Amino acid sequence: MGARSGEYGSLRRVDGIGAPFFVLGLPLFLSACSGRQSALDVAGEDAAAISLLFWVMFGAACLLWVAMNGLFFFLSRIRPGQFPDRYVQPLLIGGGILLPTVLLAALLVWGLGLLPDQRAPGDGLRIKVTGEQWWWRVEYWPEGAEAPVVTANEIRMPVGERVEFLLGADKVIHSFWIPALGGKMDMFPGRETRVSLRAERTGVFRGQCAEFCGASHAWMAFETVVMEPDTFDAWLEAEAGDALMPVEGAATRGAALFLSQGCGACHTIRGTEAVGQVGPDLTHVGGRLSLGAGRMGVSTAGFTRWIGHTEALKPEVQMPSYDFLSTEELDDLAQYLVGLK
Amino acid sequence: MRRVFLTLAVLAGFGFAGAVAVVGLGLYNVSAQVGHWPGVSWVLHTTFRNSVALRAPSMEDAPDLSDPDLIALGASHYATACTPCHAAPGEQRSATMQAMVPAPPHIDEAVAHWKPNEMHWIVENGIKMSGMPAWPAKERDDEVWSVVAYLAAVKVENAPTLPDVTGDTKSYCTACHERMGGRVPRLDILEPDYIAEKLREYRDGTRPSGIMAQAASLVPTGEMAALTTGFSGRATDRDVADVDPVLLGRGEELARRGTRDIPTCLACHGGDAANRRGPAIAGQPEAFLKVQMELWHDGIYDADPLMHAAARELTEEDIEALAAYFSRLQP
Repeated sequence: MGARSGEYGSLRRVDGIGAPFFVLGLPLFLSACSGRQSALDVAGEDAAAISLLFWVMFGAACLLWVAMNGLFFFLSRIRPGQFPDRYVQPLLIGGGILLPTVLLAALLVWGLGLLPDQRAPGDGLRIKVTGEQWWWRVEYWPEGAEAPVVTANEIRMPVGERVEFLLGADKVIHSFWIPALGGKMDMFPGRETRVSLRAERTGVFRGQCAEFCGASHAWMAFETVVMEPDTFDAWLEAEAGDALMPVEGAATRGAALFLSQGCGACHTIRGTEAVGQVGPDLTHVGGRLSLGAGRMGVSTAGFTRWIGHTEALKPEVQMPSYDFLSTEELDDLAQYLVGLK
Repeated sequence: MRRVFLTLAVLAGFGFAGAVAVVGLGLYNVSAQVGHWPGVSWVLHTTFRNSVALRAPSMEDAPDLSDPDLIALGASHYATACTPCHAAPGEQRSATMQAMVPAPPHIDEAVAHWKPNEMHWIVENGIKMSGMPAWPAKERDDEVWSVVAYLAAVKVENAPTLPDVTGDTKSYCTACHERMGGRVPRLDILEPDYIAEKLREYRDGTRPSGIMAQAASLVPTGEMAALTTGFSGRATDRDVADVDPVLLGRGEELARRGTRDIPTCLACHGGDAANRRGPAIAGQPEAFLKVQMELWHDGIYDADPLMHAAARELTEEDIEALAAYFSRLQP
């Protein structure tokens, strides 16, 4: 008996230490709820619906937890061994069968009711996204367009409009997820899936591949920029145009290097001889917010690192590291690419 | 029982001591003049024949052995690499070679005994303890078929005369590179620096090729630089035969645009020499281009990670289409 009370005593001590830790740690946990890649920091209609469902479920789960533990405490500590037999059957049937059936059925109906919204028809703009290893091929199809505006590794969309995403994959399954804007949707090779999203406020939100797809799965991300409709239209028009021709020395040398080193075998820069389709379109790569599909920010230093150490920065990536280029050559290339706004 | 074991142990001890004495004291006579004990030659030779028959590749792996380009290439390699031991058809082996144990068979005798696939195995692998060497580039069993094609032609007495390889080094190069198509590239469209680099790679094995390693090893180092210029094109244009226009179109599309898996070829192999990364390939023989693409695809050539990556996703049909397109493209 002495040993047991000792155990309780130590448990109580742990509680005594744990409580302040829990209170102090709470803001740390809650800080994960805000941010540009959080389903709880809602920026879109679809994320709001999911978020509401989550909070209701979370609240109900808390209530149930308190009720169950309260009942257990009552029966084991306050009135132990005095539970009248005539209450047993109603409690088992009511609390063990009826209540969960009703609650779960209600949640199911609610949840299923959200599904059609995920595929609600869009307001006109369609964006076709193909999951590659490990980057995103992106095509904008404005209403009535005959040819897409091709870009990569970044999504831009107008605020307040429902945008339809047509999703596919090249070799393995990926999953398209912008937590702040809505639910995720798997991307399959040889099959098109759809999801539609409506952003409710402007800002930059992070998207991430949400299905393990190989060595660099964790490095397969993108930025989503929600813009005012006017700004978006202007951006899309600029994005549809050819690349800017460099004027300054280093960038001009970089442009020549880009072609002579065969970069155009895999990358397209519209308006130049580079027409490859294997890797991301780089026509306006300098205007993007991230480099290497969310791997790092766009800067001259970033491009230099990326081109010289591609395989180290993104394990098993198809692009070979151009570590045989000199520092000056890498810098020229970086100057050229960073200028492709 | 104990006595039996004891006897066996003593006998084993004597045997071991005897073996140590033979090896350690040099009691065994390795003289080639002495020859083998009776029966040993038969055992060795029978083992040899059966071992080759068991391991020879299927004839389904063989290219068309009646291809004159393939025979000519095999003949040229035979002329420098094989004649020292096996002699040219109709000529005698040197007295020294005839004194070898076992003596390398004369070519006429050698081809009479073996089927083409067995000859392939022998030329590729060599024969242990006989003086017959293995093919110098382990990964290039494809090249071995050219020698087999020549040997098969010798067998039916339809072989071309061996080229004269006793002239100066330049004429040694042109013997193949100006007079042959097939798997042999033309050099007149290649940059001197590129040729020099490849010669170095053949020598050090970076670019595995039994035929070119043999050829490059015969060139005195001082003469290397002089060998990289002054070539002329092929005597005849061999790749003008009609070809399916659909295949050609596919080749052109792949070369210009690539696909989502295949980089565009012309980004590195098009344009003028100063602005491209890779060698000129327009106008090279179709068979040569095919073999090269297969080598890069299979990773047997891997010195350039970019070219290996570029060829990785090529299918057999892609390779055929690209070879057809580039061989007909004006250099």
